[in-house]
Amino acid sequence: MRFSESRKRQVVGTSDASQVGRLRHFVVSPSNRTVTALVLDKTPGDEVLVDWSELQAFGRDAITVTSAESFRAPHGQDEEQAIKGKLDVLGKPVLTERGDGLGELEDVDFDAETGEITALQTSREEVRGHRLIGVGSYAVVVSAPER
Amino acid sequence: MSILVRGAELVGRPVVTLAGEVECQVKDVVVHRKAGELIGFTLAKRGLLGGPRKDVLPWEGVHGLGNEAVMVPETAAFTPAEEMAERTQRKGADVLTDRVLTDSGTDLGEVVDVVLEVHDGDDAKAEVVGYEVQASPALSQDGRRVLIPLPDTIAVSGEHLIVPDAAREFVSYDLAGFGAAVEGFRSRLRGEG
Repeated sequence: MRFSESRKRQVVGTSDASQVGRLRHFVVSPSNRTVTALVLDKTPGDEVLVDWSELQAFGRDAITVTSAESFRAPHGQDEEQAIKGKLDVLGKPVLTERGDGLGELEDVDFDAETGEITALQTSREEVRGHRLIGVGSYAVVVSAPER
Repeated sequence: MSILVRGAELVGRPVVTLAGEVECQVKDVVVHRKAGELIGFTLAKRGLLGGPRKDVLPWEGVHGLGNEAVMVPETAAFTPAEEMAERTQRKGADVLTDRVLTDSGTDLGEVVDVVLEVHDGDDAKAEVVGYEVQASPALSQDGRRVLIPLPDTIAVSGEHLIVPDAAREFVSYDLAGFGAAVEGFRSRLRGEG
Protein backbone atom coordinates (compact mmCIF):
# COMPACT_ATOMS: atom_id res chain seq x y z
CA MET A 1 0.00 0.00 0.00
CA ARG A 2 1.28 3.54 -0.69
CA PHE A 3 0.83 6.86 1.09
CA SER A 4 0.00 8.68 -2.13
CA GLU A 5 -2.90 6.41 -3.09
CA SER A 6 -4.38 6.41 0.42
CA ARG A 7 -4.95 10.15 0.61
CA LYS A 8 -8.47 11.15 1.65
CA ARG A 9 -9.53 7.51 2.08
CA GLN A 10 -12.78 7.23 4.02
CA VAL A 11 -12.73 5.88 7.54
CA VAL A 12 -15.81 3.79 8.31
CA GLY A 13 -17.14 2.76 11.73
CA THR A 14 -18.15 -0.87 11.58
CA SER A 15 -20.58 -0.62 14.50
CA ASP A 16 -23.04 1.41 12.41
CA ALA A 17 -21.48 1.36 8.92
CA SER A 18 -21.24 5.14 8.77
CA GLN A 19 -18.31 7.28 7.62
CA VAL A 20 -16.59 8.69 10.68
CA GLY A 21 -13.71 10.49 9.03
CA ARG A 22 -11.26 10.83 6.16
CA LEU A 23 -7.51 10.23 6.13
CA ARG A 24 -5.41 13.43 6.08
CA HIS A 25 -1.94 12.55 7.34
CA PHE A 26 0.10 9.54 8.38
CA VAL A 27 2.01 9.69 11.69
CA VAL A 28 5.29 7.82 11.27
CA SER A 29 7.54 6.65 14.11
CA PRO A 30 11.16 6.59 12.97
CA SER A 31 12.23 4.43 15.90
CA ASN A 32 9.86 1.61 14.89
CA ARG A 33 9.75 2.40 11.18
CA THR A 34 5.99 2.07 11.29
CA VAL A 35 2.87 4.11 10.88
CA THR A 36 1.74 4.61 14.47
CA ALA A 37 -1.35 6.73 13.95
CA LEU A 38 -3.54 8.51 11.40
CA VAL A 39 -4.67 12.13 11.40
CA LEU A 40 -8.21 12.47 10.11
CA ASP A 41 -10.62 15.18 9.13
CA LYS A 42 -14.39 15.23 8.86
CA THR A 43 -14.65 13.50 12.22
CA PRO A 44 -17.86 13.79 14.31
CA GLY A 45 -16.10 15.36 17.30
CA ASP A 46 -12.89 17.35 17.89
CA GLU A 47 -10.66 14.29 18.18
CA VAL A 48 -8.73 13.70 14.98
CA LEU A 49 -6.08 11.12 15.91
CA VAL A 50 -6.52 7.38 15.79
CA ASP A 51 -3.80 4.90 16.78
CA TRP A 52 -2.86 2.22 14.27
CA SER A 53 -3.66 -0.37 16.94
CA GLU A 54 -7.29 0.85 17.01
CA LEU A 55 -7.83 0.16 13.31
CA GLN A 56 -9.71 -2.94 12.29
CA ALA A 57 -8.31 -2.85 8.80
CA PHE A 58 -6.55 -0.54 6.32
CA GLY A 59 -8.21 -1.51 3.07
CA ARG A 60 -7.97 -0.26 -0.51
CA ASP A 61 -11.35 1.42 -0.41
CA ALA A 62 -11.87 2.14 3.26
CA ILE A 63 -10.13 2.15 6.59
CA THR A 64 -12.27 0.52 9.28
CA VAL A 65 -12.54 1.18 13.01
CA THR A 66 -15.16 0.05 15.49
CA SER A 67 -16.40 3.60 16.00
CA ALA A 68 -15.27 7.21 16.38
CA GLU A 69 -14.88 6.55 20.11
CA SER A 70 -11.37 5.26 19.42
CA PHE A 71 -10.33 8.73 18.21
CA ARG A 72 -8.28 10.84 20.61
CA ALA A 73 -6.54 14.17 21.18
CA PRO A 74 -2.78 14.61 20.53
CA HIS A 75 -0.25 13.82 23.28
CA GLY A 76 2.93 15.81 23.20
CA GLN A 77 4.60 18.22 20.80
CA ASP A 78 5.29 15.74 18.02
CA GLU A 79 1.61 14.81 17.76
CA GLU A 80 0.59 18.48 17.90
CA GLN A 81 2.89 19.09 14.95
CA ALA A 82 1.58 16.00 13.19
CA ILE A 83 -2.06 17.09 13.30
CA LYS A 84 -1.03 20.39 11.70
CA GLY A 85 0.55 18.43 8.90
CA LYS A 86 4.07 19.64 9.74
CA LEU A 87 5.40 16.08 9.86
CA ASP A 88 3.83 15.03 6.58
CA VAL A 89 6.64 13.18 4.84
CA LEU A 90 5.66 13.42 1.19
CA GLY A 91 7.51 16.23 -0.63
CA LYS A 92 10.17 16.63 2.06
CA PRO A 93 13.88 16.46 1.20
CA VAL A 94 15.47 13.11 2.05
CA LEU A 95 18.93 13.41 3.62
CA THR A 96 21.32 10.67 4.61
CA GLU A 97 22.98 10.82 8.02
CA ARG A 98 26.09 11.92 6.11
CA GLY A 99 24.34 15.04 4.83
CA ASP A 100 23.89 13.91 1.22
CA GLY A 101 20.60 14.63 -0.52
CA LEU A 102 18.63 11.79 -2.11
CA GLY A 103 15.98 14.01 -3.66
CA GLU A 104 12.43 14.63 -2.50
CA LEU A 105 10.27 11.97 -0.90
CA GLU A 106 7.67 11.08 -3.51
CA ASP A 107 5.98 8.13 -1.87
CA VAL A 108 6.12 5.60 0.95
CA ASP A 109 5.36 1.88 0.69
CA PHE A 110 3.89 0.31 3.80
CA ASP A 111 2.43 -3.01 4.91
CA ALA A 112 -1.33 -2.46 5.31
CA GLU A 113 -1.57 -5.23 7.91
CA THR A 114 1.22 -4.16 10.26
CA GLY A 115 1.82 -0.51 9.40
CA GLU A 116 5.50 -1.27 8.80
CA ILE A 117 7.25 1.10 6.36
CA THR A 118 8.84 -1.11 3.73
CA ALA A 119 10.31 1.43 1.34
CA LEU A 120 10.74 5.16 0.69
CA GLN A 121 10.52 6.33 -2.91
CA THR A 122 12.58 9.46 -3.50
CA SER A 123 12.85 11.39 -6.74
CA ARG A 124 16.17 9.59 -7.30
CA GLU A 125 16.02 6.14 -5.81
CA GLU A 126 14.25 3.65 -3.58
CA VAL A 127 15.42 3.41 0.03
CA ARG A 128 14.60 0.35 2.14
CA GLY A 129 12.27 1.24 5.04
CA HIS A 130 14.61 -0.04 7.75
CA ARG A 131 16.97 2.84 6.93
CA LEU A 132 14.55 5.47 8.22
CA ILE A 133 16.02 7.26 11.23
CA GLY A 134 14.25 10.62 11.43
CA VAL A 135 11.03 12.38 10.43
CA GLY A 136 11.04 16.10 11.09
CA SER A 137 9.39 19.28 9.91
CA TYR A 138 12.31 19.99 7.55
CA ALA A 139 13.51 16.63 6.25
CA VAL A 140 13.32 12.86 6.36
CA VAL A 141 16.65 11.35 7.45
CA VAL A 142 17.90 7.89 6.52
CA SER A 143 20.96 5.94 7.52
CA ALA A 144 23.95 5.76 5.18
CA PRO A 145 23.80 3.07 2.48
CA GLU A 146 25.60 -0.18 3.22
CA ARG A 147 28.92 -0.45 1.47
CA MET B 1 36.07 7.62 1.24
CA SER B 2 36.41 11.36 1.23
CA ILE B 3 35.03 14.36 -0.57
CA LEU B 4 36.59 17.68 -1.53
CA VAL B 5 34.63 20.85 -0.92
CA ARG B 6 35.37 24.56 -0.99
CA GLY B 7 34.77 26.55 2.18
CA ALA B 8 32.54 28.94 0.25
CA GLU B 9 30.22 26.09 -0.76
CA LEU B 10 29.56 25.37 2.90
CA VAL B 11 28.39 28.89 3.72
CA GLY B 12 24.60 28.86 3.99
CA ARG B 13 24.40 25.05 4.27
CA PRO B 14 21.60 24.02 6.61
CA VAL B 15 22.52 22.34 9.89
CA VAL B 16 20.00 19.51 10.31
CA THR B 17 19.46 17.10 13.19
CA LEU B 18 19.16 13.35 12.65
CA ALA B 19 15.52 13.86 13.67
CA GLY B 20 14.95 15.94 10.54
CA GLU B 21 14.71 19.40 12.13
CA VAL B 22 16.72 22.33 10.80
CA GLU B 23 18.59 24.24 13.49
CA CYS B 24 20.41 27.03 11.67
CA GLN B 25 22.83 27.43 8.80
CA VAL B 26 26.61 27.65 8.39
CA LYS B 27 27.86 31.24 8.51
CA ASP B 28 31.58 30.63 8.16
CA VAL B 29 34.21 27.93 8.13
CA VAL B 30 36.86 28.15 10.87
CA VAL B 31 40.23 26.57 10.13
CA HIS B 32 43.44 26.24 12.08
CA ARG B 33 45.92 28.05 9.87
CA LYS B 34 49.00 26.07 10.82
CA ALA B 35 47.60 22.61 11.44
CA GLY B 36 45.45 22.93 8.35
CA GLU B 37 42.39 21.45 10.05
CA LEU B 38 38.76 22.36 10.04
CA ILE B 39 37.95 23.41 13.60
CA GLY B 40 34.27 24.01 13.06
CA PHE B 41 31.62 26.41 11.88
CA THR B 42 30.19 29.71 12.99
CA LEU B 43 26.43 29.79 12.65
CA ALA B 44 23.68 32.05 11.42
CA LYS B 45 19.94 31.88 11.84
CA ARG B 46 18.09 30.46 8.88
CA GLY B 47 16.92 32.52 5.98
CA LEU B 48 18.39 35.11 3.63
CA LEU B 49 18.70 37.72 6.35
CA GLY B 50 19.56 35.31 9.12
CA GLY B 51 21.69 37.15 11.66
CA PRO B 52 24.68 35.53 13.38
CA ARG B 53 24.25 33.22 16.34
CA LYS B 54 26.52 33.46 19.36
CA ASP B 55 27.25 29.76 19.56
CA VAL B 56 29.42 27.73 17.19
CA LEU B 57 29.54 24.14 15.98
CA PRO B 58 32.87 22.38 16.58
CA TRP B 59 33.87 19.68 14.09
CA GLU B 60 33.58 17.03 16.85
CA GLY B 61 29.89 17.87 17.09
CA VAL B 62 29.26 17.10 13.42
CA HIS B 63 27.73 13.71 12.59
CA GLY B 64 28.08 14.04 8.84
CA LEU B 65 28.94 16.57 6.13
CA GLY B 66 27.54 15.90 2.67
CA ASN B 67 26.47 17.64 -0.48
CA GLU B 68 23.31 19.16 0.99
CA ALA B 69 23.53 19.50 4.74
CA VAL B 70 25.65 19.39 7.88
CA MET B 71 24.09 16.71 10.10
CA VAL B 72 24.19 16.89 13.89
CA PRO B 73 22.78 14.58 16.58
CA GLU B 74 19.39 15.50 18.02
CA THR B 75 21.02 16.87 21.16
CA ALA B 76 23.31 19.06 19.07
CA ALA B 77 26.64 20.06 20.62
CA PHE B 78 26.88 23.78 19.97
CA THR B 79 29.47 25.58 22.09
CA PRO B 80 30.16 29.19 23.04
CA ALA B 81 32.19 31.11 20.46
CA GLU B 82 35.04 31.85 22.92
CA GLU B 83 36.01 28.18 23.10
CA MET B 84 36.58 27.99 19.36
CA ALA B 85 38.48 31.29 19.29
CA GLU B 86 41.05 29.85 21.72
CA ARG B 87 41.70 26.94 19.41
CA THR B 88 42.47 29.10 16.41
CA GLN B 89 45.41 30.46 18.45
CA ARG B 90 45.06 33.89 17.00
CA LYS B 91 41.72 35.42 17.88
CA GLY B 92 40.05 36.75 14.77
CA ALA B 93 42.65 35.07 12.56
CA ASP B 94 41.35 34.52 9.11
CA VAL B 95 43.27 32.74 6.42
CA LEU B 96 41.44 34.72 3.76
CA THR B 97 43.54 37.61 2.37
CA ASP B 98 46.75 35.93 3.47
CA ARG B 99 49.23 35.65 0.65
CA VAL B 100 50.84 32.38 -0.43
CA LEU B 101 54.62 32.46 -0.82
CA THR B 102 56.88 29.70 -2.04
CA ASP B 103 60.04 28.70 -0.14
CA SER B 104 62.09 30.62 -2.67
CA GLY B 105 60.05 33.76 -2.12
CA THR B 106 57.68 33.84 -5.10
CA ASP B 107 54.26 35.25 -4.40
CA LEU B 108 51.56 32.95 -5.77
CA GLY B 109 48.54 35.06 -4.92
CA GLU B 110 45.97 36.00 -2.31
CA VAL B 111 43.89 33.35 -0.58
CA VAL B 112 40.20 33.62 -1.44
CA ASP B 113 38.99 30.24 -0.15
CA VAL B 114 40.08 26.96 1.40
CA VAL B 115 39.63 23.46 -0.03
CA LEU B 116 38.64 20.89 2.57
CA GLU B 117 38.93 17.14 2.37
CA VAL B 118 36.23 15.53 4.52
CA HIS B 119 36.71 11.90 5.46
CA ASP B 120 34.07 9.31 6.28
CA GLY B 121 33.69 7.16 9.34
CA ASP B 122 34.17 7.61 13.08
CA ASP B 123 36.84 10.09 14.17
CA ALA B 124 36.70 11.44 10.64
CA LYS B 125 38.96 14.37 9.98
CA ALA B 126 38.30 17.41 7.89
CA GLU B 127 41.58 18.72 6.59
CA VAL B 128 42.56 21.81 4.64
CA VAL B 129 44.27 20.28 1.61
CA GLY B 130 44.45 23.35 -0.59
CA TYR B 131 43.93 27.07 -1.01
CA GLU B 132 42.08 28.79 -3.76
CA VAL B 133 44.04 31.91 -4.65
CA GLN B 134 43.59 34.88 -6.90
CA ALA B 135 46.68 34.03 -8.96
CA SER B 136 49.63 36.40 -9.02
CA PRO B 137 51.44 37.13 -12.33
CA ALA B 138 53.89 34.36 -11.42
CA LEU B 139 51.10 31.81 -11.87
CA SER B 140 48.78 33.36 -14.42
CA GLN B 141 48.55 36.35 -16.74
CA ASP B 142 44.84 36.99 -16.19
CA GLY B 143 44.53 36.89 -12.39
CA ARG B 144 42.24 33.86 -12.52
CA ARG B 145 41.52 31.67 -9.51
CA VAL B 146 43.61 28.54 -9.09
CA LEU B 147 43.87 25.78 -6.50
CA ILE B 148 47.19 25.21 -4.76
CA PRO B 149 47.77 21.93 -2.88
CA LEU B 150 49.16 22.04 0.64
CA PRO B 151 51.50 19.80 2.61
CA ASP B 152 50.32 18.19 5.86
CA THR B 153 51.41 21.11 7.99
CA ILE B 154 51.56 24.61 6.73
CA ALA B 155 54.30 27.11 7.50
CA VAL B 156 52.90 30.42 8.57
CA SER B 157 54.83 33.67 8.78
CA GLY B 158 52.81 36.72 9.68
CA GLU B 159 50.24 37.15 6.93
CA HIS B 160 52.04 34.74 4.64
CA LEU B 161 51.51 31.04 4.15
CA ILE B 162 54.65 29.35 2.90
CA VAL B 163 54.53 26.36 0.56
CA PRO B 164 57.31 24.31 -1.03
CA ASP B 165 58.25 25.38 -4.58
CA ALA B 166 57.01 22.04 -5.91
CA ALA B 167 53.43 23.19 -5.24
CA ARG B 168 53.60 25.22 -8.46
CA GLU B 169 53.76 22.03 -10.49
CA PHE B 170 50.51 20.75 -9.01
CA VAL B 171 48.31 23.82 -9.37
CA SER B 172 44.76 22.96 -10.55
CA TYR B 173 41.99 24.92 -12.17
CA ASP B 174 39.04 23.03 -10.75
CA LEU B 175 38.10 20.64 -7.99
CA ALA B 176 37.67 17.63 -10.28
CA GLY B 177 41.36 16.88 -10.67
CA PHE B 178 42.46 18.44 -7.41
CA GLY B 179 42.38 15.25 -5.29
CA ALA B 180 44.97 13.73 -7.58
CA ALA B 181 47.02 16.94 -7.49
CA VAL B 182 47.15 16.87 -3.68
CA GLU B 183 48.23 13.21 -3.70
CA GLY B 184 50.84 13.85 -6.36
CA PHE B 185 52.23 16.84 -4.50
CA ARG B 186 52.46 15.03 -1.18
CA SER B 187 54.15 12.04 -2.82
CA ARG B 188 56.67 14.44 -4.30
CA LEU B 189 57.38 15.90 -0.85
CA ARG B 190 57.94 12.42 0.51
CA GLY B 191 60.50 11.90 -2.23
CA GLU B 192 58.35 9.42 -4.11
CA GLY B 193 57.21 11.39 -7.14
